[in-house]
Amino acid sequence: MQTQTQLEHDRRVEEKIQKVKELYADAPELGKVALEKGLPDLKREMAAATGKESAGRVGARQGQVSELTSILTFAEGGAKRLRGLLQLLEGNFKGADAVGTLHDMRFVFLDNDTKLLFATAYDGDWDAYIDDFVTKIPNALDLLFCNIEGWPGIHDPNVKDWLVKNQITAEAWYVASPNMTVAKAWRLERIGKALDEFLDKISE
Amino acid sequence: MANQTPIGAAPAAELTGAQKIQQLRELFADATELGKTALENVIKELSSQVSEPPPPIESAGRVGARLGKRSELTIIVPLVPGGAKRLRTFLQLLGGNLSPGATKVGTLHDMRFVFLDNDTKMLFATSFDGDWDTYIDDFVALIPDYLDLMDSAWEGWPGIRDPGAKDYLIKHQITAEGWFVAEPDLTLAEIQRLKRIGKATDEFLDKVQ
Repeated sequence: MQTQTQLEHDRRVEEKIQKVKELYADAPELGKVALEKGLPDLKREMAAATGKESAGRVGARQGQVSELTSILTFAEGGAKRLRGLLQLLEGNFKGADAVGTLHDMRFVFLDNDTKLLFATAYDGDWDAYIDDFVTKIPNALDLLFCNIEGWPGIHDPNVKDWLVKNQITAEAWYVASPNMTVAKAWRLERIGKALDEFLDKISE
Repeated sequence: MANQTPIGAAPAAELTGAQKIQQLRELFADATELGKTALENVIKELSSQVSEPPPPIESAGRVGARLGKRSELTIIVPLVPGGAKRLRTFLQLLGGNLSPGATKVGTLHDMRFVFLDNDTKMLFATSFDGDWDTYIDDFVALIPDYLDLMDSAWEGWPGIRDPGAKDYLIKHQITAEGWFVAEPDLTLAEIQRLKRIGKATDEFLDKVQ
């Protein structure tokens, strides 16, 4: 039984490899060469594929860490205000720590300041994450996103629909430590520090 | 698409908290009502936030922003005709799982591939440890073929082994104007160390109980 499942699995991997080869038949030479060279690794990778999971309503998740990627259109004067705000804060978002599930967050200005890329990495489910923002730092969000066209306001009942509409799910999402939530990382940092102090004390 | 305004420009650092609040009020004078209300609501919090010396956002090197030990790379590239289809199907066949290749780069925290504008462009965004040049060198040395497999869909991509590869990346990379990291000192190496310590501590506490 085991062997049969294994055979079936191997066959699926072979099929996938075949598909990639067909897919890259019209790729530039460089791409074709890369495929040939990368085949052994690729086979391993496909054999190990666990499938990208969903973060809920929208977005991708690997393990416990999810991605949110949005491209938004600036309102009139919005780019200037947001840039000024970010510069005055000097990139310091203490409020973001209050969310407790946010790993990282970037604001990138695109297309001559007409659009904003907003991308974050966070823990767990989309709905819970947005709820955290709404309950913990509602004003900070309004301050950032009032500069975006069509922003309904964080307390508007349609805010989640608006966010979903403007989010683009990543086609692929990789996380090096997929089980390291922000809470877990902070706990480990505390343990590491306590251990250092402990070792200092007993060596005195 | 090239590198833009440096973040954390010097003038802001020299302002007092009160001056910053004043500037924020001026900046948001023409914002929506919602925005102005939000500003007044957070101004108390902001005044404590902006008057404390913040951990400065620095450059990740030639391009990109860095906070503490953590850097960001954000690239938007045009795709060649047929490139999006190849890349999407390839990523789907992998099940969106890039781990076996990506884990070889020991400084890479996270990485996303997002298709934009009806599959004509791709956003590639990562979070990594340290300096830009070292990071790119790692990619080149450790997973060159993976990279070429992905990047062969990029218009004008010279190939990872081409001396012009870094210039191409710099040309298409856009430095983030805002960059936040919850654990700015937590490199992947440090995470591994802390995981071991955490495990050892648990065992130790179990034993002494």
